[in-house]
Amino acid sequence: MNLWRLEYLRLVRTYRVWILLGIFGFFAIVGPATAKYLPEIVERLGGGVEVAVPPASPELAMAQYLGNALQIGILAIAFVAASSLAFDANVEMSTFLRTRTSVAKILEPRYVVNILVAVASFLIGSALAFVLSALLIDTPRIGGTVIGSLLVALYLCFAIAVTGLFASLVRSVPGTALLTIGALIALSIVGLIPAVRPWLPTDLVGAYDALIAGGDFVYWRAVASAVVLSAGAITFSVYRMDRREV
Amino acid sequence: MARTAVDVHDITKRYGETVALDDVTLSVGRGSVYGLVGPNGAGKTTLLGILSGLRAQSSGTFDVDATRIGVLPDTPRFDSWLTAREVVDLSRVLVAPDVAEMSVDAVLKQTGLLSVAHRKVGGFSRGMLQRLGLAAAVVGEPEVLLLDEPAAALDPAGRREVLDMVSALRGASTVVFSSHILDDVQQVCDTVGILKQGQLVYEGTLDQLVRNAGHEAAYAIRIRGEGAQLVDLLKSYGWVSRVSIESEVITVAAASGAVLERELVRALGRADVPIVSVGPVERSLEDVFLEVTQ
Repeated sequence: MNLWRLEYLRLVRTYRVWILLGIFGFFAIVGPATAKYLPEIVERLGGGVEVAVPPASPELAMAQYLGNALQIGILAIAFVAASSLAFDANVEMSTFLRTRTSVAKILEPRYVVNILVAVASFLIGSALAFVLSALLIDTPRIGGTVIGSLLVALYLCFAIAVTGLFASLVRSVPGTALLTIGALIALSIVGLIPAVRPWLPTDLVGAYDALIAGGDFVYWRAVASAVVLSAGAITFSVYRMDRREV
Repeated sequence: MARTAVDVHDITKRYGETVALDDVTLSVGRGSVYGLVGPNGAGKTTLLGILSGLRAQSSGTFDVDATRIGVLPDTPRFDSWLTAREVVDLSRVLVAPDVAEMSVDAVLKQTGLLSVAHRKVGGFSRGMLQRLGLAAAVVGEPEVLLLDEPAAALDPAGRREVLDMVSALRGASTVVFSSHILDDVQQVCDTVGILKQGQLVYEGTLDQLVRNAGHEAAYAIRIRGEGAQLVDLLKSYGWVSRVSIESEVITVAAASGAVLERELVRALGRADVPIVSVGPVERSLEDVFLEVTQ
């Protein structure tokens, strides 16, 4: 038994890993399926009313996956990560760990395992959406899918680092998760300013659709800011939690 | 190796305007069992929190001369989806990975949890969690063990087992344990420190405490018949600090035991009351504790 196995058991025994895989897996099936069959569905439900729907395309299928999966997926990732990173929420459990090892050693597996599971869930979903799209409609651009998926994976790392940052500022799991969601939404709103948008990690989410649609790679600034801000948030959370009294 | 394992010098802890610990200085002999007693809110948990590194003192210094420290909070809790064995093994790996894994089962047996070692702790009672906390605290063979109310949630049999465990650690580990159950303290502690409103008002052995704490000495005088005259007579003496009567027993106290022993017999000789017996009032630890802390 060690702190790495503790995190593994937390994910498996509390079904957190299955929740994340389930969310991304579900939308990976629903995305290409709705893209393919949306005209038929609308026609049957429309009752004679003519509704204009875009034609089925692999780009639409992948965009459907990302748009739907990320909305609920980010919420689930924030709560799953908060339940692990906000370990001071329960004083007695925190006492057990803090009196036996350092905060850095407690947080290390929690960050790594949560990032791995979030990224793996998203990538598995993305791969599944790619395959289903190829089977049902047409093959999406493979290069754009791979790079776009990696950029969204980096955004998920950033989201978990933000969760850790808030876990070091508040002592509640729901509080940590909701502050994370709030901060990510606020960043998206700030991204409405054209001059700022390329520098924000939230711009990485848009890269997925754009690259699959054949757009150019113009995301170095967002990559750099995501890496720097994630590293800063993780470092600050370790520093802050180390100095926090229980 | 120093003779003391824990040294605390002038520790003060403030929470805003509230002073939780006020200039506390104490030392705990290596291998001894030290009882930290005091009423609720006296500062026991705060002091243990500082010694275990969970809280920072506002001023003062302390030294815990040990590489392995075991800590048991007053209400231990663990991830509900872990088994008892996993909790203790995690503690072993974190504190003392060099300690053999078989010691996990040994401490589980010692704490009466071996039969539920593979059960998830989510279903454990508070008493079982307390035993599990103790098992997790001792599995790393700590040189210093900090126990916050270790027997508070246990039934009498469980309490006996825990106190026996703590007693058995004497010599091998230095134990600091807080409690407001004086009987527990009396059974296992070599030395006690009494905290009152954040201040250490007494530190020493229990015998010394009962003998010397406070300055008042008292005698009980059993009479036959009406005692009001004797009570009035005793109250008239300057060396008497307190007189009370209950049924046919008069209790008389004086600031000095020596004066009381010398003067009481003379005073009784002047009284016209049938006296059945005269004897010193033995003070219990509880009496002394209440006297010191009130």
